[in-house]
Amino acid sequence: MFNGFSHSVKGASHEKTGLVCQDSSAYKVTDNYAVAVVADGHGSKKHFRSNMGSKFAVEATIEAIDTFFGDYDQFVSNFPKNHRMIIRNIQKQAIYNWNLKVNAHVEANPVTEEEKSKFTEEEFADIPQASYYGTTLIAGVAANDFTFGLQIGDGTLVALFDDGEAVMPMEYNEAAPANVTASMCNSNAASMFSGFYVENKKLIAMYASTDGLYTSFGSENDFLDYHTIITSQLSNLENFKAVIINNLTKRSHYGTEDDISLSCVYDTDMIADNMDLILSKVEENKKRAAERKAALLTKKIDNFE
Amino acid sequence: MSNENMTEPVVNENTSGLDDFEPAAAENTAPAAASALDFDDDPLSATGVSRKSLVIFFLIDTSGSMKGKKMGELNTVMEELIPEIRRVGEADTEVKVAVLTFSTEVRWMYSTPIAIEDFEWARLRASGVTSMGAAFKELSLRMSRNSYLNSPSLSFAPVIFLMTDGYPSDDYREGLKELQSNSWYKFGLKAALGIGDEANDDVLAEFTGSKDTVVHAYSGTQLAQMIKIIAVTSAQIGSKSMTLSDDSGHELGEEDVFSAKQKLLGQQIQELVSNKVEDNDVPFDTGW
Repeated sequence: MFNGFSHSVKGASHEKTGLVCQDSSAYKVTDNYAVAVVADGHGSKKHFRSNMGSKFAVEATIEAIDTFFGDYDQFVSNFPKNHRMIIRNIQKQAIYNWNLKVNAHVEANPVTEEEKSKFTEEEFADIPQASYYGTTLIAGVAANDFTFGLQIGDGTLVALFDDGEAVMPMEYNEAAPANVTASMCNSNAASMFSGFYVENKKLIAMYASTDGLYTSFGSENDFLDYHTIITSQLSNLENFKAVIINNLTKRSHYGTEDDISLSCVYDTDMIADNMDLILSKVEENKKRAAERKAALLTKKIDNFE
Repeated sequence: MSNENMTEPVVNENTSGLDDFEPAAAENTAPAAASALDFDDDPLSATGVSRKSLVIFFLIDTSGSMKGKKMGELNTVMEELIPEIRRVGEADTEVKVAVLTFSTEVRWMYSTPIAIEDFEWARLRASGVTSMGAAFKELSLRMSRNSYLNSPSLSFAPVIFLMTDGYPSDDYREGLKELQSNSWYKFGLKAALGIGDEANDDVLAEFTGSKDTVVHAYSGTQLAQMIKIIAVTSAQIGSKSMTLSDDSGHELGEEDVFSAKQKLLGQQIQELVSNKVEDNDVPFDTGW
């Protein structure tokens, strides 16, 4: 049985400047699959509706995944054979859904004079409508026999499979050109997605987060260890919710001051069956972190005097 | 079973209401005090929160000509400097330090940039020739997301501070060419200090990209002053979050922010150098 949670906190820098939270997060759990999704609206001047853009992105993605899982038996029989193509089609469907939502929103809420006032006429004319809503998107999908994910722009997916190791599974990247911010609003968004597919490992838990979480850590190891610790607490999610919300708030406030979103889906049976393994990984990680710190502080040059 | 939750902080929309996350929590993100957020039994506290971080690279000439008063003074100043840089980072930036020494060989003091709180200076010894080009190549190799700049919390372009007392003994231009193709170098804040009469300010200006960010020290007192001025000023400017807009409110890009910072560094260094105290100390090169 799947379960999940999701949460977004507004960054301290956005508190200071009076900006709204540009992140959105969501999860969906069914008998057959579970989806964790987050999106980070770009927030800069020309993306002046990116808070709505990120909300539309998480909705559009869940709807796209629902559509593909609609005929469940057919989907799960085709998917392992054609996962690359099908993931690409899910990405295209998510982009299509997102654009529909953006168009409908603009139609119902035309750009105001106040929104326009920050640009010259020529500047405003140069901004494509979809750019008002520019956002990233990261989604992880857990099904009974396979796990997959899709991503455009910054953010991270972390998965713990049955070996108890926290890993970043995103592997194939169609074409993310350097120095270009990949976004749902790009006209060639479909070609900028990354994805992954795993079928030979049982998933314990999977997490999607916006880059505000990643950048609140001093090292990638700490970031991964954090997810192992969260996984060790999922057997009592109700008690843990307050802790995770406060921790995300603390990270947003004392870290890089960015918005933070975290969305998680997990298999409750796998959590119960593997709790000893997960707890042993937490202890192992603590030991390794101490060893890394000691190695770090060893000078390569000795005092000469 | 279907359990769907959409967390959308702006409108507090919960599309199903089946999950009992309190939507208000998404908006309640400004803690009154740190203690309000700390749970005694918070298992997540095992992985600390990292502040925005900045790396300062010191490139230090340890060739034979630095032997004696120059090296002795430099060691003393660097030991004193650490607490001063620590204070720069106290506000909201974690400052990390990496020291690359170059003489006949190039060597790092630590195998990775070290948080200023944990940094201890290793007193350096001078000998050999001035392989500045090799140092530039080594710096370029390490200034990468896959190497010394791999911390997730890294938020600012690095500060790169070169100190030397002589003319490079290798092909420094070849090394500099390699370094100049590194984006971290391009966007980093660069400053250089020439020590004594032999240091060539033109070479140093080639490294920093401008004469404003090159200063010269001719005595121990000046050396101490200049190192502190450059290191502290560049750490302060380097860790400043700058969002620039021109008169019409247009947003400026990363390159504009970088040039504004580099320009500000040049202005402040020149201002501080011209205001420095009288120096009656004996010049390094007297009697050498």
